[in-house]
Amino acid sequence: MFTFGMLDGVLFHLGPIPVDHIVVTQWAIIALIGIVAFMATRNMQMVPRGLQNAFEALIVWTYDFFTQLMDKEHIAKKYAPLLSTFFLFIIVSNYSGLIPGAGQIPGYQPPTANWNTTLALALITAFTVQVAGFAEHGLHYLGHFVSPSPLMLPLNLLEEIAHPLSLFLRLFGNIFGEEMILAFMLFLAPFFVPSLLMGLSVLLAAIQAVVFTILSANYIATATGEGH
Amino acid sequence: MTKNRRYFMILLLTLLMTLGMASLAYAAGGVVPAPEGHTPHFPNWYAIGWTAVNFFILLALLYKFAFNPINKMLEERTNTIESSLKHAEQVKVEVEEMRKEAQANLAESRKQAQEIVARATKAAEDAKNEIITKAQEEAENIRQKAYAEIQAATEKAKIELKDAAAMLALMAAEKVLERAITDEDHKNMVTKFINEAGDLMC
Repeated sequence: MFTFGMLDGVLFHLGPIPVDHIVVTQWAIIALIGIVAFMATRNMQMVPRGLQNAFEALIVWTYDFFTQLMDKEHIAKKYAPLLSTFFLFIIVSNYSGLIPGAGQIPGYQPPTANWNTTLALALITAFTVQVAGFAEHGLHYLGHFVSPSPLMLPLNLLEEIAHPLSLFLRLFGNIFGEEMILAFMLFLAPFFVPSLLMGLSVLLAAIQAVVFTILSANYIATATGEGH
Repeated sequence: MTKNRRYFMILLLTLLMTLGMASLAYAAGGVVPAPEGHTPHFPNWYAIGWTAVNFFILLALLYKFAFNPINKMLEERTNTIESSLKHAEQVKVEVEEMRKEAQANLAESRKQAQEIVARATKAAEDAKNEIITKAQEEAENIRQKAYAEIQAATEKAKIELKDAAAMLALMAAEKVLERAITDEDHKNMVTKFINEAGDLMC
């Protein structure tokens, strides 16, 4: 059976807790983002230059983006860092699949091509949405489960489950599918042919990161918005 | 040219990446092998838990190294720009005030200069008139004095002439008569002569 390096094995144990390959990959990604952030903001200048400028632009862009998406600015301000982190983590994870060796070296694969990772991210979004709703509306938030009528309760509950489920499966499906196709193409025709698909992957990886983040922002905005 | 070079670089990088992957694959097994592995089992709660933990570690890292310093810097920058703009506005107002003041000063100076010139012109005119009047007066005085002097000298000359003529006439008469002339004769003759001479002379 072709699994194309989608090895979900335990690399080592940290005490009694097993550490999987993808967890180590995630650590590498976190270290990379952290180092870039550290380098960018190590010597903050009033007039930004170089890396600081680029990183600042990224953070300000995401912040502005979510502020436009959400009606309430204090909500946007509160949740923009979380959403920016989603965006950065997912886009770097997705792009890690384009580094030579991904999917070929056993155990090394983009974390977002593993359904455990995307489920964790979707769960974080789901809990954030509920927490944000309660934080904004208090117990009145419960009212939206029975609106417009108590008959809608099952459907409303289903919606709350469907949202993270769609996030989880969309991100996983897209990145896993892309990785599979890439690996399969490399297997069939190692030269030139996969280049086209890799170009497409660059676009796909960015789009999936944006989609996941926008939808998360949208769910948070809905939960904290008026009408509950 | 630059655009073409950029596209060429992108193509080159893409090819390099492909070659890299291919060579890695070759190195692994001579021909591209189907990599070994097994389908990730689901749900792997350890992996899910680790991912959540990792995500919050990343969030904390970004808070420390990105969001907080960048927000602080943005706030600082906003403050700086605001204060700069305020300062610029203030400077503008000050400059405008200074300009107005300078203009007022200039107008005042011009007015004063005009006044001074007018005053000086008037003073000069006055002085001129005064000098002319004085000169005229003096000239008149001198003329009058000279006239008086001439008058006096004429009178004096006349008297002197009269005396001399009387003396000459007396002497001539004595000679003619060869006798002393009485006072009576003398008086008559003199008077007569003088009158004649005076008529002749004048």
